[in-house]
Amino acid sequence: MSAATLARRAAPATLRLPDRLRLGAAVAAGNLAAVGSRLANRGSGASIRGQVLTRLAPDAFKLLLRGRRIASVSGTNGKTTTTHLLAAAVRYGLGADAARLVTNADGANLHYGIASALSQARSADIAVLETDERVVSDMIAFGQPEVLVLLNFSRDQLDRNHEIKSLGRSWRAALQRAGHDGPTVVANASDPLVVWSAGTAAKVVWVDTATSWTADAALCPACGTVLTTTDGRWDCPGCDLTQPAASWMVDGHSIVTPHHHRVTPELRVPGAFNVSNAACALAAATELGVGLDAALHGMRTVTAPAGRFATATLCGTTARLLLAKNPAGWAEALPLAASDPVILAIDAIAADGKDVSWLWDVDYEQLQGRRVIATGPRAQDLAVRLGYAEVEHRVVPDLAAALAAVHHERESRPGMDGGVPQAPVDLIATYTPFQKLLKMAGLR
Amino acid sequence: MSAPVEIVLVYQSLLGIYGDRGNAMVLLKRLQWRGIEASLTMVEPGDRVPPSGTVYLLGGGEDAAQVSAVRALQADGNLFRGLEAGAVLFAVCAGYQICGSTFTIGERDEVIEGLGLLDVETRRGPERAVGEILTRWTAPDGREHLLTGFENHGGFTRLGPDAKPLATVEIGIGNAGDGTEGAVQDRVIGTYPHGPVLARNAALADHVLSLALGRELEPLPRPEVDELHRQRVDFVRKQAARR
Ligand SMILES: [Zn+2]
Repeated sequence: MSAATLARRAAPATLRLPDRLRLGAAVAAGNLAAVGSRLANRGSGASIRGQVLTRLAPDAFKLLLRGRRIASVSGTNGKTTTTHLLAAAVRYGLGADAARLVTNADGANLHYGIASALSQARSADIAVLETDERVVSDMIAFGQPEVLVLLNFSRDQLDRNHEIKSLGRSWRAALQRAGHDGPTVVANASDPLVVWSAGTAAKVVWVDTATSWTADAALCPACGTVLTTTDGRWDCPGCDLTQPAASWMVDGHSIVTPHHHRVTPELRVPGAFNVSNAACALAAATELGVGLDAALHGMRTVTAPAGRFATATLCGTTARLLLAKNPAGWAEALPLAASDPVILAIDAIAADGKDVSWLWDVDYEQLQGRRVIATGPRAQDLAVRLGYAEVEHRVVPDLAAALAAVHHERESRPGMDGGVPQAPVDLIATYTPFQKLLKMAGLR
Repeated sequence: MSAPVEIVLVYQSLLGIYGDRGNAMVLLKRLQWRGIEASLTMVEPGDRVPPSGTVYLLGGGEDAAQVSAVRALQADGNLFRGLEAGAVLFAVCAGYQICGSTFTIGERDEVIEGLGLLDVETRRGPERAVGEILTRWTAPDGREHLLTGFENHGGFTRLGPDAKPLATVEIGIGNAGDGTEGAVQDRVIGTYPHGPVLARNAALADHVLSLALGRELEPLPRPEVDELHRQRVDFVRKQAARR
């Protein structure tokens, strides 16, 4: 068991006077920009604050990380939710000292987003930070995190797919350089790419997340041999890489601890994948010194991390908002969406990935027998996909109009929602329409 | 009555990173909607490739996967038998590259021998070709069609005398920025636009099927497919005009 304790206070670095003045001025300018952004109704302003801050003080990321106890959370899917779960666990563990915690709860996870969050809590000595995959190696080098959570590593944006392997290499190199001062990595043993990427870490706590998404993990990241899977465990016949024995395990709806306690997280966020996220958060919380019960209590307070799974009334329609950024995300989200109709929103600008061929890797066939409203700028691509899947659908390109359409339909047929009057309509969206929905709902 | 049509989707775990299974779904449905009996066979390395396929499909994949796929297909041999028996091979992206005589992988440009089904050679290009692509393809009946797709490849492909380009490039890179796209040789078609290129281009999908069945197919009106085609052509032309 970890010897860490939450009682250990760290001291965020006291900066040299010139640095302090420079950073102070940059933070003030960033805050001003954030207020401007809020007044102009352009969102919370965290992102613009960070951009101004890091433009005026390019080393803000480095300076603001210094001296804190850091837990960094990365991976392709689930990092926002896991960050919220871990932060909630730590917050509960801190009790009256909750002000010691800082976190980037809004999901702004690049250098400037992290700098922005840290700039608002200069004396908080514990930071739980969602970290973009591309920022992980800088986080290891400059933040010297105590704990690094690596959730999963699947292709996200297809037009950038070729970058995955080099990202994995950069993590390995950063962990190697950090050596024994490096973080304790809490890593998903079910994901070959994560296991390979964490292979150079001085200390790893393996979590068997029992995840089923294997479509991106056909080849050994170390030697290129086709991986084999026996009894749910993967192995490389060509080299030493194999699924490591885990100390934490997901088993159905429960989590088994290293001491073989079986706990049921009873989360308020849905889905089996969030049990996996909770297992990683629980392992990380334990490494930071949060007690098991406190961590579980804390995690149960999380309901809608950065708007995910939130229910909001938009254009007269009550909708539950689900985010799916990639095929693995859709595989998780689609079974949760039980409403009829269901709204699916697709875009393909930079943050979504410009290539929508992933639509053909998602099992939309499971929606047969229900009605789909396809919306967003790439709704027509989805319509063709649904057509070939023989799923009844119609195209309403404008997001607000799609929501309004459900409202009108429900008004004309009150209480006809499969027997459940006015149950929320499930709305699954890719990144950009999801952000748009949050803004419409006033959630960011 | 002829035997049922068999669509064979080859090695999805190796060559399927760009939604390439979509091409198989499209071919299958376009047969079934016309009342033609058809089945889909998916084979993975270790399984035997059926020699009885009517259309074989190869998709996109990474370097190491390309090498594994070539080795497995050569050891298996049934793809070649199927083609000798008159089947059609439709290969996209990395699947297109491995059909050639050679291609390269890795930072050190290691030269790998391909399947030798197309007289083409692929070498690393000056920069990665990523984005929407628009080409012109002339069908066997002489009608010209616009083909729309998304290309994402680091290799540039040069055609030898035995291979003919599939199409000419209006917007995008294609084979090697030389105005040609894809290659055709006997009953093998290779093209860079990956994934469900057949979902966007009904005419090309039906051409692959006609070629494999050896007869013309009756028209299959699907307005939403035509609309997608129209939207993508429109988009890529507007995008090009802004540059
Ligand atoms: Zn290996």
